[in-house]
Amino acid sequence: MCVVSNSQPKSIIRKSTVRTLVFGAVLLFAALRFDPYNQGQLAVTLTLFIGVLSIVLLTGISGQISLGQGALMAVGGYSTALMIINLQYSLWLAVPLSIVSGGLAGLLLGMVAARLSGPYLAGTTLVVSLAIPSIATRFGSVFKGDEGLQVDVGYPPVWFVNTFGDPTYEMWQFYVAFPFALLALFFASNLLLSRSGRKWRSIRDHEIASSLTGVKVSREKVFVFAISAGFAGLAGALYGLRGSVGPSTYPTSLSLMLLTGAILGGIRSIAGAFIGSVLVVFLPDWIDWAVHSFELSEQVSNYLPALVGGILLILTVVINPAGVAGGAHRHKHK
Amino acid sequence: MDTLLAALFTGTSRGAIYALVAMGLVLVWRGAGIVNFAQMGQAMFSTYIASTLIMNGYSYWIGFVVAIIAGALLGVLLDLLVMRPLANKKQTELLSSASMRAAVPVIASLGILGVLQALAGIFWAAEERGFPAPVGQTGFTVAGQVMPFTSFDLFVVSVVALTLLMTVLFFKKTGVGLAMRASALDQEVAKLSGIRTNGVRALSWAISGAASSLAGLLLTPSSNLSPYTLDLALIIGFTAAVVGGLDSLPGSVLGGFILGFIISFVNYYMSPEDIFLAILAVLIFVLIVRPRGIFGGKDVRRV
Repeated sequence: MCVVSNSQPKSIIRKSTVRTLVFGAVLLFAALRFDPYNQGQLAVTLTLFIGVLSIVLLTGISGQISLGQGALMAVGGYSTALMIINLQYSLWLAVPLSIVSGGLAGLLLGMVAARLSGPYLAGTTLVVSLAIPSIATRFGSVFKGDEGLQVDVGYPPVWFVNTFGDPTYEMWQFYVAFPFALLALFFASNLLLSRSGRKWRSIRDHEIASSLTGVKVSREKVFVFAISAGFAGLAGALYGLRGSVGPSTYPTSLSLMLLTGAILGGIRSIAGAFIGSVLVVFLPDWIDWAVHSFELSEQVSNYLPALVGGILLILTVVINPAGVAGGAHRHKHK
Repeated sequence: MDTLLAALFTGTSRGAIYALVAMGLVLVWRGAGIVNFAQMGQAMFSTYIASTLIMNGYSYWIGFVVAIIAGALLGVLLDLLVMRPLANKKQTELLSSASMRAAVPVIASLGILGVLQALAGIFWAAEERGFPAPVGQTGFTVAGQVMPFTSFDLFVVSVVALTLLMTVLFFKKTGVGLAMRASALDQEVAKLSGIRTNGVRALSWAISGAASSLAGLLLTPSSNLSPYTLDLALIIGFTAAVVGGLDSLPGSVLGGFILGFIISFVNYYMSPEDIFLAILAVLIFVLIVRPRGIFGGKDVRRV
């Protein structure tokens, strides 16, 4: 087990704060030294990190599998884009509100999902991940159909430029994702360490035993779904700010990519979520770098990341289902 | 009237194919306790093999037979390489809970799907290609009117009917079929009565692979062949299997036809864009009203 279970509330908050600050400092230090391309990649990594955290909470901690997190991201992305375009909301208001819209969608989905388990849940959420983007095409007048809604992170405000200097566009993307990623990390860390986290783990490990200790299993399951969806909604809002919010921004493969990241990194830990999101974002670059001397055809190099990702996913579940972080953790205790 | 006829005929022919897909899923679920989300990836892969043979001048029927055999072999291969090692894995702390034990094969099958699609992309996806039908795709003419039912539809329905008949006979009349039914009921007891359950598992994967490859061969003439063509069929097949009952073979066939009709009617009377929403609505309705499906025996929630 990855977490001390008898921490006091005060020490939980202290622990989460320390984690968040250290994580933030390291990231900022790295980002400032990266070239613009990798700054942009890091911004995407932070965005997906929030999405992968939603899977860690849902699957790793409470034991419910979801292949539909991409659809919940779409809900967050569309709501933010609509608020920015139609209501002229500032990004700093519209993005946090995506937590609410995602959470509400997750609440609805959770009410169905709490009744299901295993492959039933996986299949249903997979259908959801296909159906939600098709709503955008169905109600094209609001959601602008396949074309999508154009939104981006814009430019830093004047006071920011005066204080911190003029960042590159990619660095600004990083600065936008950065505080939300820290916020997500802080909340996830608190949830995992707290009483709620323990309840959810008990549901995951044995539903009946858990309900006998007084946990209201169904209610908690819906609750986790909603919270996890809040994370997904936030991730979706930031993901859309890369330029456009449309059905093709949130394909089913996005849901699967998040799941791949969560499994590779380690489905039960926050560190794993970050390792996993680094892997899914940077893997294509690393593969490009590794094979660039072989002069592969475009066709091969296009599909190579998917191939390597799939193979890694299978190897991970067969050999070390606890993922990179889980494996490291095990060795530490030996 | 014409629309109604067209919807009914398309529903029958599509429903027959979805029944095959659902049957493939049910076979592996009964045999191995896994919902195989890679199934239509396997079908896509073997359809590409058939297509490559046909494009190189071999006859349709050679491609047809080779694809079905390839589908069966691929199924066995996946069982041996991935699913069996996964099932035999000793219980680690992570795999100790029922929820994670159910989730891990799902994730593995998604990994397989990703690998198969990427491989197909690397081998074949340079150009879009169609896939031929063995017989004509123009409607029959009855009393001077062209009916919305083609020779190919007739071919589809008869091939599927034959396959279903063979499957029923196999399970009812042969010893191996009996062994498979026994293992589906209770692995442990089957093993004790001398059934080699590992062999039975592999056979489930083989039959399922063959059936879904057949479904792939029958589906692709009406669309272009690409690594992702058959994803929708998987979703529909899964829903059909849940509607009929995930552990019931007759249920999967019934579910396949129900889904075939629903989708065909949505397609003709509403719009193709509504198909996903219709599938979602059917799935959620069934899961709320009767989660075990029409013919499903066991409850979804087991202790």
